[in-house]
Amino acid sequence: MICDQCGERSASVIVKQQQHGQIIERNLCHVCAAENHSINVAFEQDPLAIHQLLSNWFPNSQASTSPARKEVVTCPSCGFTFSKFLRLGKFGCDSCYDAFSPHLDEIFKRFHNGNIEHKGKIPASYGTTLKIKKEIEELRKQMQVCIQEEDFEKAARLRDEVKALSAKLEGGAADGS
Amino acid sequence: MAVERFLQPHASSWMTNNAENVDIAMSTRIRLARNLTDFKFPYSFTEDEALKVDKEISSVLLDKGNELDYNFSHISIEELAQLQKEVLVEKHLISPFLVNSQRSGSVLLSENEELSIMVNEEDHLRIQSLQPGFQLQQAFKIANELDSLLEKNLSYAFHEKYGYLTSCPTNAGTGMRASVMLHLPALTMSHQIQRIIPAISRLGMVVRGIYGEGSEALGNVYQISNQLTLGKSEYEILQDLENMTEQIIQQERKAREAIALNSPMILEDRVYRSLGVLTHSRLLTTEEAATRLSDVRLGIDLKMIQDLDMSILNELMIFMQPAFLQQYADKPLQPRERDFARAKLFRERLNKKDRNSEGEDLA
Ligand SMILES: [Zn+2]
Ligand SMILES: [Zn+2]
Repeated sequence: MICDQCGERSASVIVKQQQHGQIIERNLCHVCAAENHSINVAFEQDPLAIHQLLSNWFPNSQASTSPARKEVVTCPSCGFTFSKFLRLGKFGCDSCYDAFSPHLDEIFKRFHNGNIEHKGKIPASYGTTLKIKKEIEELRKQMQVCIQEEDFEKAARLRDEVKALSAKLEGGAADGS
Repeated sequence: MAVERFLQPHASSWMTNNAENVDIAMSTRIRLARNLTDFKFPYSFTEDEALKVDKEISSVLLDKGNELDYNFSHISIEELAQLQKEVLVEKHLISPFLVNSQRSGSVLLSENEELSIMVNEEDHLRIQSLQPGFQLQQAFKIANELDSLLEKNLSYAFHEKYGYLTSCPTNAGTGMRASVMLHLPALTMSHQIQRIIPAISRLGMVVRGIYGEGSEALGNVYQISNQLTLGKSEYEILQDLENMTEQIIQQERKAREAIALNSPMILEDRVYRSLGVLTHSRLLTTEEAATRLSDVRLGIDLKMIQDLDMSILNELMIFMQPAFLQQYADKPLQPRERDFARAKLFRERLNKKDRNSEGEDLA
């Protein structure tokens, strides 16, 4: 089926809209669905619209109740299964994010124009540790490059820096700062 | 009861009229969604947990809120009568979602009604900051300061990759929704709005009508807000929204000039006809009142009408809604009776001089 809006890509999302008391069905491609303003209207007003989008984006996961597919992802803390998350369009608790993590990039990409990572405010209590962790990540990347370029002297210097930062991280965790 | 003062038909400070670009940008809102660690989210927690969350958040706000000079009133939703809840919804101080929630929730309101903190809405905490006119930075500053104060005393659910963790995947990251309410009669009249809306959507922002029914904005009032909460910082999100809003305001001004230049008589007739309807009719539906208000508002902006205060119009947009009218009449009203009460309200507010000749009671 071809997208009702652009008439180019194939439709992957069926959107039901209530207009003047009538339900209208539109078939959209994922690009038009993400851009469609009337769907966004539905986001805030009708939580059902989100689950509808999700279940249309991930039709296979819906079938996970069939006996053929046994491994159902379940959040250990609140008991939400991934299919329940898709059905409701909502997380049950903060642990759901880790439990469903393998599937989340795909979902966030569609809701947030291709973005999957937080770039904003960090609570002060997380601030220092997170900053050090990011620094270590960055140094490790540089170290890989040095090793590939066989600049072992610089790689060793970077390794020492990583070590120092890691120690700081553990020390920080120990005194709770 | 603490709630009484918030139910009175007096204007909240965000409805006043002394801010920049207030002729087109009516009000600005920032909302931050937050959750606590160690408690399940509102879609899965028990009543017992709901009560604990409410207690924990409320006690911090009532105690620490004074550090920022906010004198919060704590109002439990379940203690309110249905009509009182509806009045708070019409005043934008709480959401319909909170009213319909199955679990215990509450709202903490600052004295000037600029800050409203909902507890156990879709998330444990929703900080909402309201400002008159176009003031994204100021509204964010107020919300952000309170947020920073709270995080010192509460443990927020936060993830290195996903940021602030929220019930809905559309809020994760910054948890921030920033929106500006815009009155765009000229862009609507000239049908340019249909061209602008898809362009805004493509840039990760969303447009919707004030009362949210269908695609048509009641009274030519549109709300523009950010859609993305992941991948951009709060600063970048606000910048994008600010730039976009400024462009729309400029386009609206140009469209107004063009209409005033090309068909001044038609425009003048329309403005005064609407003023006539608002000041003399006996039955006014919500739709008609919103449309006529929009025309009169435009007339004031274009200096055609000089002796009418814009802030009265802002108040009327809020007070003409069903729950407010019933509160004002002090009894339940059938739809027809509401239309009558609405017309009476407009006559009273807009013709103060001959108020005495309008002495009949609300139906
Ligand atoms: Zn398409
Ligand atoms: Zn969970």
